[in-house]
Amino acid sequence: MIRQPNVILGNDKLLVTMGRKGEIFGLFYPRRDHAQHAEESFACIHTGDRLLWTNDIEWHSSQNYVEDTNIVSTKLYHDSGIKISILDLVHPEVPVLIRRFKVQSQKKISGKFFYFSNLNVGETSKKNSAFCDSDARLLAQYWQNYNIGIYARPEFTEWQIGKAMDTIWWTNSKYDMEDGKLQRNKEDIGNINNAVGWDLDLGAGETNEFVIYIGAASSRSMLYKRMHELSKLPLEHIFEKTREYWVMWLSKKHVLKMPGIEGYNNLRQELFNAYNRALLMLYLLNDHEYGSFVAAPEFDSNFEKCGGYGFCWNRDSSELVLALKRSGYPEYCDRFFKWCIRTQMPDGSWFQRYWLNGDIAPSWGNFDYSTQIDETGSTLHAMDVYYRTLEGLKKVEFLEDVWVSVLRAAEYLMKRTKSGLHESCTDLWETYYGIFTYTSAAIYAGLMGASHLAEENAESGMARRWKKRADFIKQATIDRFWLQEGYFAKGIIHEKLDKTVDASILGAYIPFRMLSPKEPVERDMILFLIENIQKKLSVPINTGYGIKRYENDAYIDGNPWIVTTLWLSAAMFSFVLDLPNGKEGPYAEEVEKLTNEGIKCLSWALEGATSTGLLPEQVDKSSGKPAWAIPLGWSGSLMLDNIILFDKICRRNAGKQE
Amino acid sequence: MVRDLCMFAGFNEDSRIVWFKISYSKGPGSLSVISDFLEKENAFIKFGHIDNITQETGEYSIFTELKKDTDLDELAGKIKELEIVSAVEHGVSEFGMIYSVDFPQNVIGVRGVMSRALTIVDIIKTLNQSVPHAEGLLTLSGLRGGVDAAKYFKSVMPINNSNFASMIAELFRAVGWGILEIDCSPETYEGKIIVKDSFIADVYGRSEQPVCAFMSGYFAGYLTEYFGKNISVREVSCKATGKDVCEYIISLAPSSAVKEYQLRGEIK
Repeated sequence: MIRQPNVILGNDKLLVTMGRKGEIFGLFYPRRDHAQHAEESFACIHTGDRLLWTNDIEWHSSQNYVEDTNIVSTKLYHDSGIKISILDLVHPEVPVLIRRFKVQSQKKISGKFFYFSNLNVGETSKKNSAFCDSDARLLAQYWQNYNIGIYARPEFTEWQIGKAMDTIWWTNSKYDMEDGKLQRNKEDIGNINNAVGWDLDLGAGETNEFVIYIGAASSRSMLYKRMHELSKLPLEHIFEKTREYWVMWLSKKHVLKMPGIEGYNNLRQELFNAYNRALLMLYLLNDHEYGSFVAAPEFDSNFEKCGGYGFCWNRDSSELVLALKRSGYPEYCDRFFKWCIRTQMPDGSWFQRYWLNGDIAPSWGNFDYSTQIDETGSTLHAMDVYYRTLEGLKKVEFLEDVWVSVLRAAEYLMKRTKSGLHESCTDLWETYYGIFTYTSAAIYAGLMGASHLAEENAESGMARRWKKRADFIKQATIDRFWLQEGYFAKGIIHEKLDKTVDASILGAYIPFRMLSPKEPVERDMILFLIENIQKKLSVPINTGYGIKRYENDAYIDGNPWIVTTLWLSAAMFSFVLDLPNGKEGPYAEEVEKLTNEGIKCLSWALEGATSTGLLPEQVDKSSGKPAWAIPLGWSGSLMLDNIILFDKICRRNAGKQE
Repeated sequence: MVRDLCMFAGFNEDSRIVWFKISYSKGPGSLSVISDFLEKENAFIKFGHIDNITQETGEYSIFTELKKDTDLDELAGKIKELEIVSAVEHGVSEFGMIYSVDFPQNVIGVRGVMSRALTIVDIIKTLNQSVPHAEGLLTLSGLRGGVDAAKYFKSVMPINNSNFASMIAELFRAVGWGILEIDCSPETYEGKIIVKDSFIADVYGRSEQPVCAFMSGYFAGYLTEYFGKNISVREVSCKATGKDVCEYIISLAPSSAVKEYQLRGEIK
C-alpha cells in the first residue's frame, strides 16, 4: 500500500519512516533499501467499550523534530479528551527505536493501552515466526537472520501473536484486541501479527507512560542482549546522548552567515533550519557502509504507481555528495566514489540504478538504447568537481584511486557520441527514448572533467582528445537544439525535434556549465533559458509558483517539483555570482531581479515541506501539500546548494557595503 | 431493503415505462380511487409499492407502461387533482429494462447496491487466483459484514435465541444470497448451516476446493456478535465441488492457541 511519510528517523543501521500520527510505515534494517520489516506498527487505546486506533481519522495531530536532531515529537488529540504525546528516537549506536507514549485523559478511563504491529520480517509475510518470551517479556519475530523485537517499560502484561490473514480469524491480534483482552498466544508461524498490552487506569487529568523499544539484530541472542542493556538505561540519558550526537554531527557543517537579509521577515532563520534539516535528512538516506544513497525511502515497493525510489541513482547521488561536500562533509564524496569504482559496468558506464550494496536494481534501462548515458557523465563530472577541491596528498591519492574508472567511463562516452550528439538512450526523467539537451550537457561535463583529470595525471593526449569531443558535443547541441525562441529543445524523440520546454535544459548551465556566463552570447542564452522556463513551466500554488518538469507532464498529475524549482533558483543565484561586480555592474538590474526571484523559489520550496520540514519531490498542484516521494534526497541537496549560493550573495553584498 | 425497483423483460419501441410516486391521505378506498382513475386513463399498473409514512398519509409508487405520445405532465396533473392526493412525482425509464424510483437504495440501515452475482464472484475468483491468503482475506471481509448485520438487527428489534437464525435466513433470501437452514445450539454454540443455491457456489463454476469463505466469515461475524463469543464457521461441503448444497460447521473458537488449528489439522 502506498503511504507517504511525514517524518523519518534512524541511525547508521536503522531507518524508520512514519506518518503524521506516529504510525510506522517502514522499518529498514540493516540497509536503507533492504529489508523493510514493518507493514503497520502503532498504538491503540481500548476505552472500556471500544478501540481507538491512533492512526484513525478521529485523531488530530501535530508533529515536529526536536530542534537540530532526528528525534521526533508527535502529539495526538482525540475529541473524547484523550491526548497522547509520543517521543520517538533511535539510539545513535544500536538499531533500536525507542517510543515513549504519554497518555492523558480529561475523563476517567478504565481500559487498555495496546501496541499493535504487523511485521513482515525480511520483507516477506511468508515463513515468518514469532514468539513471546513471557519471562523476559520480549516479543520477537524473525526470518532467517533478521530478528525484530518488542520490549517495554513497564513490562507489558498481556500479548497476542496470531494469524494476520487467515480463516482462524479469532487469533488475529487486531480482532483479539476488540474485547479489550489479549489471548496470550505465545508463538505462531506464517503471516502473523502481534499486540502487547497494559492496563490503562486513568483518573481525570492523570497521565500514564509507556516506553516501547523496537529493536533489530542479526541473531536472537544479540536481540536479547540489546534490549536488556538498553532498557537498563534511563530514557533521559538516552535522549541526551541522542540529542548530543545529532548536534555534534551538525557542528561540523559549513557555517552560514547571511548578512543583510533582515528585510525578508523570518527568512534567515527559516533557511538556517532548512539547511540543518536537509543535512540531517541526507544522513538518514546514506548507507554508511557502502557510501550510496536511496533517492527516497521506499514507499511503493510493489511499483504500483511508479518505479520505486529506494535505490541509488548515480545522477542523484553525484549531486548529493557534492552538496554535502560544500556543506562541510567531504567524507560522503570519498565513500560514494569508492562505491562508483566498484559498481561501474564492464563497458565503462553506470547502470540506471543500484541496490545500496552495489547490486544492479530492478530496471527498465537494461540495453544500450534504454540506458541513461547522463548518469555516466554526471559521475565523471562530480569526480572532477570533488578532485578540484582537494589538496596535497589527498588529491594525488584520489586521482590514483579513480583514474582507471575515469578512463573507462570517458571512453564509454566517446564511443556513444561519435557524431557529436549522443546515441539514443533514455532521458533523465526515465520516460523518453531519444537524444536530449540535458544528457548532452552531462556528457559534455563528464568529458571536460575527465580531460582535466587526464591533464592532472600527465595524460595530455587523452586530455586533448576528450576535450575536443566535449567541444564538438557542445557545438552540436547548440547547432541542433538551440531555438530562436530562446531555449534549448528537449531533444530528438521519435526522430523529430521536440520543442517542449523542459526544465532540465537548465543543466546546460547548472550544474554542467556547458554554457558560460563569461561569454556574452552564452550569457544571454542563459538568461533566455531562465526566462522561458519561468514563463512556460510556472504553476501557481501556495504563495508563489513552482516549476513543473516539462510542458504536458503527466507523471503524478504533472505537479510542480521542488527539484526543478530549486534548480531554477540555483541557476539564478549562480548567474548572479558569475556576473562581474554583482549589484554594481552593468547587470545590476538583472542581479536584483534574479536574486529576488530566487528567494521566491526558495520560499516556495520551504512552504511545500512537511510539517517536520522534510522536502518532498513534488508539491500537489491543487492542495499545495507535499506530494509523492518524501523526503527526496535530490530536493535536499538542491536546498543545500541554494542556501550556500544565497549565503555567498549575501556575504558579497555585505562586503561591498562595508 | 431494496424498494420501488422494477424490472421488465423486453423493450417496446412504442411505449415507455413510467413511474409515479403519489402522496395521499389514507382513508377507506383511497388506493382504489387512485387505481381506478389510472385504469380509466389506460395506465395499467405493472408494479406497485405502498409505504405507510404516517398514520394519516401514505406513499404509493407505481410503474406503468404508457404510449410514447402520452402527455405525462398532464396525467400527473390530473392525478394531483384527486381529492386524496397531496403530491405527485413522476419519471421515465427510457429503456424499460431496470429502474429504481429510490436512489440510493438501502439494505439493513446502510446504502445498498445491486449487483449481478457474477460480478462479485469475479472479484472472489481474482483474489483466489492472485492473492496469497485469499481464503483468509475473504473470511475477514465477510466477518465484518456479519458483525454489522447482527448489530443492526439488535438495534431495530429484540433478537433472541428463537429468532436469531431466522433473521439471517430472511436477510439471505431477501438479498438473493441463498436459502438457509440453520441448526445451532445457543448452549453449546455448535451446529450446522446449510445454504441452498449459494450465489457464490452457483456461479463460480466447478472447483476442487470450497469457494464460499466469504460466507463462512459472514456467518462467523453474525454469530460472534450475537453470542458474544468467538465462533468458528467452516465450510465443509460446497456446491462448487459438486455437492447438492453448501454446508458449514459451527463451533466455539478455542480460547487459546490450538496447534491443530495453527497447523491445519482437522478441526474437532
